[in-house]
Amino acid sequence: MKEQLDALAATLFAAVEAASSEKDLQELKVRYLGKKGELTALMKCLGALSAEERPLVGQLINTVKGRFEEEFTSRLAAVKGAETRRRLASERIDVTLPGRRTAVGSRHPVTLVVEELSEIFAGLGFQVAEGPEIELDFYNFEALNFPADHPARDMQDTFFLEGNRLLRTHTSPVQVRTMLKHAPPVRIIAPGTVYRCDSDATHSPMFHQIEGLMVDKGITFGDLKGILTIFINQYFGKGVGMRLRPSFFPFTEPSAEIDIACVICKGKGCRVCKNSGWLEILGAGMVDPEVYRHVGYDPDAVTGFAFGMGIERMAMLKYGINDMRYLFENDIRFLSQF
Amino acid sequence: MIISYNWLKDFVECDLAPQDLAEELTMLGLEVEGMTGVGDGFDSVVVALVEEKLQHPNADKLSLCKVNDGSSVHNVVCGAQNFKTGDRVALARLGTVLPGDFKIKKSKIRGEESCGMLCSQKELGLAELSDGIMVLTTDHPLGTPLFDALGLKDTIFEIGLTPNRADCLSVVGVAREVAAKLGKSIHFPGHDPLESGPAIATVASVIVEDSELCPRYAARYISGCTVAPSPAWLVKRLEAVGMRSINNVVDVTNYVLMEYGHPLHAFDFDRLAGGKIIVRRAGEGELFTTLDGQERRLVSTDLTIRDGERAVALAGIMGGENSEIAPESTNILLESAWFTPSAIRRSGKRLGLHTESSHRFERGADIGIVTRALNRAAALISELSGGVVAKGIIDVYPHKVHPRQVPFRLERVNAVLGTDLSSSQVLDIFGRLQFQTVEREPGLMTVTVPTFRVDIEREIDLIEEVARLHGFNAIPATMPVARVFSDRPPLSQKGAKLLRDLLTTHGFSEVVNFSFFGADLFDKLLLPVDDPRRETIRLLNPLSDDLAVMRSTLLPGLLQTTERNLSRRSLNLRLFELRRVYHPVPGQELAHEPLHLGAILTGRRNPEGWNHEEAPVDFFDAKGLLENIIHEFRIRGLIYSTEKLEPFYHPGKGCTLVVGGEELGSCGELHPELLERFAIEQPVYYLELDFEKLIRLGGAPLTIVPPSRYPDTFRDLALLIDEAMPASLVLEAIRTQKIKEMEGVELFDLYTGAGIPEGKKSIAVRVRYRSPERTLTDEEVTPLHARIIEHLVKKLAITVR
Repeated sequence: MKEQLDALAATLFAAVEAASSEKDLQELKVRYLGKKGELTALMKCLGALSAEERPLVGQLINTVKGRFEEEFTSRLAAVKGAETRRRLASERIDVTLPGRRTAVGSRHPVTLVVEELSEIFAGLGFQVAEGPEIELDFYNFEALNFPADHPARDMQDTFFLEGNRLLRTHTSPVQVRTMLKHAPPVRIIAPGTVYRCDSDATHSPMFHQIEGLMVDKGITFGDLKGILTIFINQYFGKGVGMRLRPSFFPFTEPSAEIDIACVICKGKGCRVCKNSGWLEILGAGMVDPEVYRHVGYDPDAVTGFAFGMGIERMAMLKYGINDMRYLFENDIRFLSQF
Repeated sequence: MIISYNWLKDFVECDLAPQDLAEELTMLGLEVEGMTGVGDGFDSVVVALVEEKLQHPNADKLSLCKVNDGSSVHNVVCGAQNFKTGDRVALARLGTVLPGDFKIKKSKIRGEESCGMLCSQKELGLAELSDGIMVLTTDHPLGTPLFDALGLKDTIFEIGLTPNRADCLSVVGVAREVAAKLGKSIHFPGHDPLESGPAIATVASVIVEDSELCPRYAARYISGCTVAPSPAWLVKRLEAVGMRSINNVVDVTNYVLMEYGHPLHAFDFDRLAGGKIIVRRAGEGELFTTLDGQERRLVSTDLTIRDGERAVALAGIMGGENSEIAPESTNILLESAWFTPSAIRRSGKRLGLHTESSHRFERGADIGIVTRALNRAAALISELSGGVVAKGIIDVYPHKVHPRQVPFRLERVNAVLGTDLSSSQVLDIFGRLQFQTVEREPGLMTVTVPTFRVDIEREIDLIEEVARLHGFNAIPATMPVARVFSDRPPLSQKGAKLLRDLLTTHGFSEVVNFSFFGADLFDKLLLPVDDPRRETIRLLNPLSDDLAVMRSTLLPGLLQTTERNLSRRSLNLRLFELRRVYHPVPGQELAHEPLHLGAILTGRRNPEGWNHEEAPVDFFDAKGLLENIIHEFRIRGLIYSTEKLEPFYHPGKGCTLVVGGEELGSCGELHPELLERFAIEQPVYYLELDFEKLIRLGGAPLTIVPPSRYPDTFRDLALLIDEAMPASLVLEAIRTQKIKEMEGVELFDLYTGAGIPEGKKSIAVRVRYRSPERTLTDEEVTPLHARIIEHLVKKLAITVR
């Protein structure tokens, strides 16, 4: 009986070893351990053995069964693994084929810049304010200290409308409207569309500006420089040099033009900065007392600064666009790059 | 403003390199926009001595010279005859590049070596024509660059002046700035004229009838002049600053204009009727021919200079043809006056006449320099034309303008600038600017501002001067100490961002079209004559008819953009624009400028690709976007109505969006006829929404339902309905059934064709049931579903298949 068992065990383990699929293994299991299995049959014969032999053989059978379970499990795992590997190998795809994309659109660069600037200035406590594009002379000029019949008005070619109205030539009227509505402190930025009667390679009759205004007790020209330094570092990158040049705007005094070290040539001189190493990016200054008079603020009680810049220029510098007309041509091949 | 460095040096000592001076000027607020070096590149054209001049052995007309340039002696072959041994000449050394890209190289001319060239004025660009080579009278050492030796080396600065700095519209003005910056003083060259002959009052008279527009009028009389071409130095200086030479009298007035910034005018005295000048406004409609030969119609606000009979000049703007200096003129009345800026500007603007003179007067000339400029010009005219300056000046100046006195607080300058400047620093700055200062008590000053600084009236103007001279870049950058306040951004700002996010994730790219378009577009859009969008706001001075009215809808701009892109073979487009439209509001000054969303879809639904379907977009792509927008903005009770359809849509494929009786916008396939008019050959879908209404009608509160833990069951319904019946009617009829176990209804199939009777359509609807409390059994669901079927059959007379 023992010999019979040994022989059976040898065949069984050899068969397990040789099994190459889960199906083979399961068949083996049935063949040897099933109800009518060969090993099961041997166990049924135990009763015919002597009392001394029975435990010994029983023990042996159990050992064989135990070993079978072990080998079966490990062989099953091996076979399954191999099967999976085989199947997966046959399922290989070309991952370099293009993916199934849904179309994703883009914001216009003007919007991108407005959103970025709004975010930078929101971080400095500036709220976004808006105003009408169809404006009155009072808000666009008079309250901003552009007297009638003054050459300063020549700085801005104006589109006039029926009914004594005009298209705002800058976003500065929003300053006036805001101050007329709110007592100080005021901290706003005003992005918006503006219009000038001018059209050539570098001028568009419609373009965009963003205006900033901060009025409170004790605001200084030094503070203006501080705020602009932060803005320039956040928008153009840390350590970008800045300089202020005296300039003139009727509604600020002192007035300054702000240049940054050319972001194209890093100050060495190139076509974009006309070899000066500097790029003019914005106008700024301390709010002129005459403006306070128009909005009913006490110029001895508060001071403040205002600044304004062209969004198109910001976009062109940031994205290296060399012709403003691309911004209004709306060619999808241009737009989809943003 | 064009400034010559050499001319500037007549007034202020300055040895800065041109580049450095440009930097100083720019940082003073006189932005140097351009610089040209006169004589740059000609340093190798030098003063040289002809030591020997022999006949060329092989050419009759050439000579063989030995020329000493101070460092060596060169053999030069020369074709000119107008010089001899011992003459000083202009030698272009080897390597010089002359105008016309003519490079001087070592060469053999008829067998003789030539190392350089002896130059004529023409070859150096110094004259239009010249006879022979330049023979120099200079005693500069040999080897001195020619342009240095002749004093021709110069730098021309182009300064972009801001309109407030009228005082810098002259050499003197810029020199004052340089002097202030460098701590130098200004010196005026020249002298007062030598007077002789009769007193001016015995010859000429001036009557100012309008001293409001002409607060000062001064004149001198110069007799016996010979009008002739100006000397070379004068011509050169004028040319350097871009002015054309005319004759020795007119050139002097222009010279002093550029130098002192004060416009002058010379009249031919013999052509002034009665030998007198009257300053008076023009008669309404009076005709007057200005120097440029143009006849102009004047009005009663135009100030004229007249003689005994007629106008002879348009005050401060341009002289008249009838009294201009002619070659035969001999006696001259020289005018130096001061006119009220706004009057000059008004007249100049109306007549479209902008001159060097009006440019200065309208910005504010210096009333204090009137006689000084007059004297400078009289002396020069006398010198150049041999004329005699009569004794005395006529100076009609009834109300003398005194230098302005402006109070100034030291505390204030520091408060505005954020600086810590001392009294003495500020006093020093004012001193440099030629402002006289009296410190009444510590920190409180009275500043007397010279008349040339017309821009300085207030304390803040003085503060700017201090900042300017101290240097903007010397002011430390600080961070403001500010009060905290809260002002939450309005919903519209968040909404605009959300809308852009939605559109871009749906594949739409944002465009920016001009806010104005042509009024003819309304017809192209098929808008009826009474459409409110035809009520627009017109530009009075449009750039063109295509940009003449403020847009009242986004559609035309988007169509033009679509057409442009299609014509460039971008055939699959999803574009949107979120910008304002403009509507006049009767009885109101301001317009209504609501933000609108417009979106265009055309071409393929999916991007091109190996694994994408090729189907084109249709109405339901547009509607799907709309539904997502409506969902995100939480608008309840929206109806897609076909009752009132926009005329620009396909009559069977469009709808109007209505919420509580209010129109929110529209959506549909654009009318093929309209597309044809815009040269578009493929179907285009469009939607336009009023963004303000989207915000106002939206924002319904969220009602959150906890998700059930139990499984759902669903039942499908196949319904046969009239072709014309809107599917939404069926869905609504189901949804409005009060069955709390009904979780949702979806339409999942639509079919017409084989097997469906004519005039009918088949729709398939899935009704999903679920309870939050337990698993529903068939026994529970069946009666609920039966209720729905019964309702549909009864209410809508529908056949359930």
